[in-house]
Amino acid sequence: MDFLAPFIEVYTPEHFKFLLEGFGVTLKVAAISIVLSFIIGGLIGTLRYARIPVVSQLLAVIVETIRNLPLLLIIFFTYFALPEIGIEMEITTAAIAALTVFESAMLSEIIRSGLNSIEKGQIEAGRASGLNYIQTLRFIIMPQALRRMVPPIVSQFISLLKDTSLAVVIALPDLLHNGQIIYAQKGSYVIPVFVIVALMYFIVNYALSLVARRLELKQA
Amino acid sequence: MFKTKNFVKMALVTILAALFLAGCGGDKASNESSKDVLAQIKEDKKVVFGVKHDTRLFGLKNPSTGEVEGFDIDLSKALAEEMFGKDVKPEFVEVTSKTRVGLLNNGKVDAVVATMTITEERKKEVDFTDVYFDAGQSLLVKKGSKVHGIDDLKKGTTVLAVKGSTSSINIREKASETTVLEFENYAEAFTALKAGKGDALTTDDSILYGMAEEDPSFELVGGTFTEEPYGIAVKKGNTELVDELNKALKSLKDSGKYDEIKDKWIKN
Repeated sequence: MDFLAPFIEVYTPEHFKFLLEGFGVTLKVAAISIVLSFIIGGLIGTLRYARIPVVSQLLAVIVETIRNLPLLLIIFFTYFALPEIGIEMEITTAAIAALTVFESAMLSEIIRSGLNSIEKGQIEAGRASGLNYIQTLRFIIMPQALRRMVPPIVSQFISLLKDTSLAVVIALPDLLHNGQIIYAQKGSYVIPVFVIVALMYFIVNYALSLVARRLELKQA
Repeated sequence: MFKTKNFVKMALVTILAALFLAGCGGDKASNESSKDVLAQIKEDKKVVFGVKHDTRLFGLKNPSTGEVEGFDIDLSKALAEEMFGKDVKPEFVEVTSKTRVGLLNNGKVDAVVATMTITEERKKEVDFTDVYFDAGQSLLVKKGSKVHGIDDLKKGTTVLAVKGSTSSINIREKASETTVLEFENYAEAFTALKAGKGDALTTDDSILYGMAEEDPSFELVGGTFTEEPYGIAVKKGNTELVDELNKALKSLKDSGKYDEIKDKWIKN
């Protein structure tokens, strides 16, 4: 029963409260980044799909650059390099900014490929029936594409939520960070803390997957 | 035609990525010569200390109270009072081995009191005060281990260390044949040692004593094989602040207040 002793010792109300505080930060950072990156990524993806001269190419370069850098590097850059050119951010803001930049690039690709998956014939049909280009996108292409995009978008959100833990490097007081502080109190706490932290991430992410499945079934 | 266009695009992406990377490693020295830190402290009526939140005995956050506790914290408070009286409030911000220099340079932290060893390399980046704590690197092993000192770390042995610390660099020099495994923090390294992932854990003796106290089936062996003088780091060029800190440190030592704080945390 030696193995179980640290589990009993570590699961105190104070520790749970401390972990939940961290989880609150994780959820807040993730939620804000999800909303922002969905808007920005949607915009970029659509603009690239529309093949507007210069704008689309410029966005392609930016997206490819960001998408091919490790998120960890972007987090470091936001927190340590930007202040050198006068852009100062708090830890939380820096984490949100870094996640938003990275996830917008990822989401824009999902959205662009979703739009591309709808046959070009539909645009022609839309235009032929008297709709302009924007109307065609808005009423014909988008609704069909969105349906196909739901699963990859949700899985991107799930990985965003997990990626927030990378901001531990700039000492964002999130779930993983607070877990680390608890097990710094005593070496035998490490595994029990890992278990509870994993469980917390799992519950929220699994809930997200369930929502995604519901959405898919509704649309089918 | 299409291929050329693609190639140009690829080249552009590469160049941009390189620029981005170069920006990351931006030269700290080219930092705009900012305001004097000491003057800023007096103006704001607060001094921000960068301390560890995850290191037993020196700086450890208590999850129940939310307070950070340890030798570094008590010493910082005493220094602040010695220097500025009750006028200036000491505040604490978390730093890690990776973030402490960056935080000094961008002004988020006024002074780093975080088990930071004074080295020639680091002196190029920051200014240090006099030594405020003398640590030395040692080895922690399971009782009855075949490792009795640094000389036993031969080929085939594994030593556990923590990333970004001087101890992982030292051990590679002093025991070049051993394999070094690095972890994010002390708790994780200690857990790895318990799980048998290595023959010994190396870091400053002051931190190892804390681990041996926590789990008596482990012990320190071989004494210390390096000197690890801890210093308080401030942003480069703030000589006046360094002088003030040294003066305060000296008077704390003279008055016995320093020993009082030290005895409270460091038992050996």
